[in-house]
Amino acid sequence: MDDKTNTEIYRAGKGSNTGIKDSDPVTTEIVRNALNSAANQMKRTLIRASFSPTVYEVLDFAVALYDKEIRLLSQAPSLPIFMATMSFCIEAAVEGVGGEENLEPGDVILYNLPYGTGSHAQDAAIVMPVFLDDGKTLIGYATNKAHWLDIGAKDPYCTDTTDVFQEGVVFPGVKLYSKGEKVRDIFRMIEANSRMPVGTLGDINAQIASIRVGAKELLRVVNRFGKDTFEYAVERMFDAGEAVIRKYFESIDDGRYIGKGIMDDNGVDTDLIEFDIIVEIDGSTVRMDYSTAPDAQRGPINCPLPSTVSASRVAVTMLAGAGEPPNEGHLRPVEVITRPGSMFHPLPPSPCFLYGWSAISAMEGIYEALAKAVPTDVPAGSAADICAVLVWGAKDNKYGEPWVGGSPFPMGQGGFAGGDGDTMIHVAEAAARFPPVEVWEALYPWRFEKFELIQDSAGAGQHRGGLGIDIVFEVFEDFSLISTVERTKVPGWAALGGKSGKTNGVTITYPDGKQKKIGKITNMQLPKGTKIAIHCGGGGGYGDPKKRNPELVERDLKEGYISRKFAEKNYAF
Amino acid sequence: MAKRIGVDIGGTFTDLLFYDDKTNSYIVEKVPTVPDHPEQGCLNAVNLAVSEDLLQESEYFLHGTTVGINALLERKGAKVGLLATTGFRDILEIRRGDRAEMYNLIWTPPPPIVPRHLRLPVNERTMADGSIHLPINDDDVLEALKVFEEEGADSIAVTYLHSYVNPEHELRTETLLREAGFEGAISLSHKVSGEFREYERTTTTAVDAFVRKRMQNYMSQLESDLGDKGFKGHCLITRSGSGCMTFAEAEARPFETIMSGPVAGAEGAAELARALQLGDLITADVGGTSFDTCLIINGRPQLLYQGIVEGLPLQTPWVDVRSIGAGGGSIAHVDAGGLLRVGPQSAGSVPGPACYSRGGEEATVTDAAFYLGMLGEGELASNVKLDRTKAEAAIAKVAAQLGMSNENCARGIVRIACASMSETIREITIEQGNDPRNMSLLAFGGAGPLLASLMAEELDITNIIVPPYAGNFSAWGLLGADLLRATARSHILPVSKENIIKANSILDELFSELESRDNAYDANKWVKEIAIDMRYRGQEHSMTIQPDIKKGRISNSADELQQAFVDAYENSFGGSLETTTEIVSLRATLRQTLPARKYSRADYTDSNTEENKSLQAYSFHKNEWMEFKLYQRAALESSRTYEGPAIVSEQTTTIYIDSNDSFTSLDDGCLLINHSGGAN
Repeated sequence: MDDKTNTEIYRAGKGSNTGIKDSDPVTTEIVRNALNSAANQMKRTLIRASFSPTVYEVLDFAVALYDKEIRLLSQAPSLPIFMATMSFCIEAAVEGVGGEENLEPGDVILYNLPYGTGSHAQDAAIVMPVFLDDGKTLIGYATNKAHWLDIGAKDPYCTDTTDVFQEGVVFPGVKLYSKGEKVRDIFRMIEANSRMPVGTLGDINAQIASIRVGAKELLRVVNRFGKDTFEYAVERMFDAGEAVIRKYFESIDDGRYIGKGIMDDNGVDTDLIEFDIIVEIDGSTVRMDYSTAPDAQRGPINCPLPSTVSASRVAVTMLAGAGEPPNEGHLRPVEVITRPGSMFHPLPPSPCFLYGWSAISAMEGIYEALAKAVPTDVPAGSAADICAVLVWGAKDNKYGEPWVGGSPFPMGQGGFAGGDGDTMIHVAEAAARFPPVEVWEALYPWRFEKFELIQDSAGAGQHRGGLGIDIVFEVFEDFSLISTVERTKVPGWAALGGKSGKTNGVTITYPDGKQKKIGKITNMQLPKGTKIAIHCGGGGGYGDPKKRNPELVERDLKEGYISRKFAEKNYAF
Repeated sequence: MAKRIGVDIGGTFTDLLFYDDKTNSYIVEKVPTVPDHPEQGCLNAVNLAVSEDLLQESEYFLHGTTVGINALLERKGAKVGLLATTGFRDILEIRRGDRAEMYNLIWTPPPPIVPRHLRLPVNERTMADGSIHLPINDDDVLEALKVFEEEGADSIAVTYLHSYVNPEHELRTETLLREAGFEGAISLSHKVSGEFREYERTTTTAVDAFVRKRMQNYMSQLESDLGDKGFKGHCLITRSGSGCMTFAEAEARPFETIMSGPVAGAEGAAELARALQLGDLITADVGGTSFDTCLIINGRPQLLYQGIVEGLPLQTPWVDVRSIGAGGGSIAHVDAGGLLRVGPQSAGSVPGPACYSRGGEEATVTDAAFYLGMLGEGELASNVKLDRTKAEAAIAKVAAQLGMSNENCARGIVRIACASMSETIREITIEQGNDPRNMSLLAFGGAGPLLASLMAEELDITNIIVPPYAGNFSAWGLLGADLLRATARSHILPVSKENIIKANSILDELFSELESRDNAYDANKWVKEIAIDMRYRGQEHSMTIQPDIKKGRISNSADELQQAFVDAYENSFGGSLETTTEIVSLRATLRQTLPARKYSRADYTDSNTEENKSLQAYSFHKNEWMEFKLYQRAALESSRTYEGPAIVSEQTTTIYIDSNDSFTSLDDGCLLINHSGGAN
């Protein structure tokens, strides 16, 4: 796969590095604060009004404000892997309704075609153009993208689709509201195509409430400062963001660093998928080259361009963004090279339901590469998954709809120069929380048996990885199981002589006691009384285990994090 | 009325306010906090300010303290053993899996407050409906106790799944531990919180077990020291969820007192709002390092039912105070991208702002304000004379990096600080469907009255109120706190006639539990309050509704209750849904008010002095330097309307009044500023 003749470079939006200094740094800072505050209000509104735990607990959404050139003004902390895709969503949504000239005040556009959102069809973007009070002058966009409970894919969640048409109903840029008037037909179509229409429509209403708050606040900020002052301030804000990232990469030696992505299989075939990501640091620019990745796969692990770009941007801004929410400027130094038709730039009708897992693998690869350049700033690899398992039942429950229970779960994170890794949800979903067992058990017919750290699961190292966890539950009615669990074959990477942690996995125990291990699977029918065990793996170690402080080894023994046997095998003990 | 003492222990200073009902006057005292022995700092203040005679006549000692929060901060508390349902002993460590700083690649959570070798499993299981799936294995409890004793654990937290529905196993565990001779403190999760969410309830229970002994020692020491000096009244401590409780109750429920400082200010604001009918308020409490804001709606601070301290969630009522790291001491700097930033780093009290001449060299908000004339001549109460040269030198360092004039830089520092405070206010008001323009801004804390006019400009607010003792308002607020007891229980009930009857029988149980907590106080005076968390079926987020109450029971019909929820929902989200509603949790509160106090002007002197003094200061409204008149607050004529621009000084704060403001000192002690114009 060395054919690089057919590649594309993706860079951030128009107007890179304007050098405009007209706007004073005070107004710029006040505008920046006001825009971030507006995004926070959008986020809180969406959380408070949403119906599905996927939104209000897992934070499987992004909210953002963009200017009229579709450049990122601000976003609230939410699902990282969504956050840098929103410009693509707006471009595609606006194009879908016939371009900017067809936008009217009061319009709300729905768009969920995977190649434009970067996601699967369940992740629906809603876009609202924002106009000045004259009703003519476009000043920007309020947008969000949230994971819907169901929009009619072949199954409520899919690991084995072979084209995009099996993955849900597509709305390729249609108006949900036109000049403020609700377009009821679209809502009726959504209702008719969802297995869980009440929750899905509830979440759409929450999304709309959220963008309306954002639109109102954006207009207020523009009116507060005046359009010209606002626009100057925004240019300067972008330049400032850009400078933060460029300064970081200027301080690193130029070079080409290679990281590896590994996935169990493509969901349909059984072969291991491997790819390289070449990270090139070139002065203050960082270039991610995905062009050597395999061709688009038959199964749904293809990652559409917007999410390939997003994974790259998120990896960079989390490392070099000084801990702050990025804007368009922070994204400018990041360049992404892809090959159309490859798994990181799939073309229609390639299936993409599991795009997020490829994006996680890509982030792991990017960090593995960057660790070679700046080992003190980058932790070792994690267990490289979110260990998400969904169970669903078609029987009547108290809400009169089929029920779905599922979540991403924590797993071991990598050790780093400053200490041991912890047990957390993958950085690609950094703000996500899994729902409480007590809340879940009050809702659905299941009982959890275990939520416990796994002894000896963490990769050994001078700074060890974080521990994995075992989650075990029993379901009380016949049900379907969907497992998206990845990286059951090859563990995550370790750094500087550390060792890898335990891999992920799922074990099914039938009522008769027979057991079966599975990886990715869709709609496995199981009888009531079946127990599911999710094994979330451990993080990679950082540095030579023999150099680990003996007191810490003793402590790990006392806490039961490691066994004596493990200590003797791995540490100077 | 009754004589009372309020003492608020903060990180740097311990503030005392004594209220004398005979003379209707106050005594103010401020002493340094004694970090290792906070009760000593408290007694120092009492000794200095309150004579033995007055102390003997005092009926209440009201207290706010950071002892509990410091125990958590410093991780100096009990050695806690934790018992959990088998399979769930790691809840405390696994948390909910999220990252508090999501843009920080190497963020790690603080270590769990109970290490793993002291978290032990017990075979038992209760289900969500309260049924017992697996009876408790007594031997597991006794085995665990042996380990705890070997390890020297002096406090035990018991945290079983679904114990909030059926506490049988937790109660059995307590019996077993006591029968086996364990004499330390035992915290049962269902007594700490009646609500679901196992990580949050477990954390709250562990915190309770962790801080209890230290709080008990502290409170009993303080109570006996005060007693030795002749105090015979009631000792009360503030609750994180507003109001106060007796020391005896706090010894049993110390986690309810963790957050004190910002709460006392909110409490004082609510008292003023009720007593003086000020309408709905937004508080703007600006201290040295932080800005705290809270909404007072219908005379009460807005409550949350979960708080967070040091990254640990606490499942307990919590005044919804939003804090950001912006205050008088916030440091201005230029970030990597070349923008001017203010805070969150603060110069604190040591070294303090550059103009304090205590060794600080970095430009702070106070330096910028003083440079612009906003602090008048810079003579502060504590005999500090601010140094303009030092302020300018500090500002010049920042200005040079930006290529700005010192003056523009100083203005920028003040504007940025005020803008971020205003954004915080905007978020807390708008997200709950409140419009800040219809509310008054109550400004207090050392720097609140200094910046209030600028915040009002940003928020289009026309009424600013500066309360009496604005610089010590937390201690003032303590003096009027109501006695409160509160509890709650999660129980999902679709709204119907039958379920309101069921809810009322749960409320009966909750009230009788509350009444049984402590008999030391006047049992006949309790007023019952009820709040209900409701939601649309299928939605997780709930909203808290105040139903109509008769004799401690809900008196609404099912339709009325449903409508009350829908109205509140529409107010917040601008629309409602066509789905049925359900009750999620029931909340019961007992309240009794302390004897009323009179409101009047502080330190009023009718000396009518020096009205002709003035100085040049910067008007943000006019964007130019102007002549600002200088006044002493105590010397203002009552009820006379003065025109800005002016700087009004009082003992512990300075009020900046811009050229588009007018102001009036009222007989009730408040200074009212009428702000015209506004940005939007």
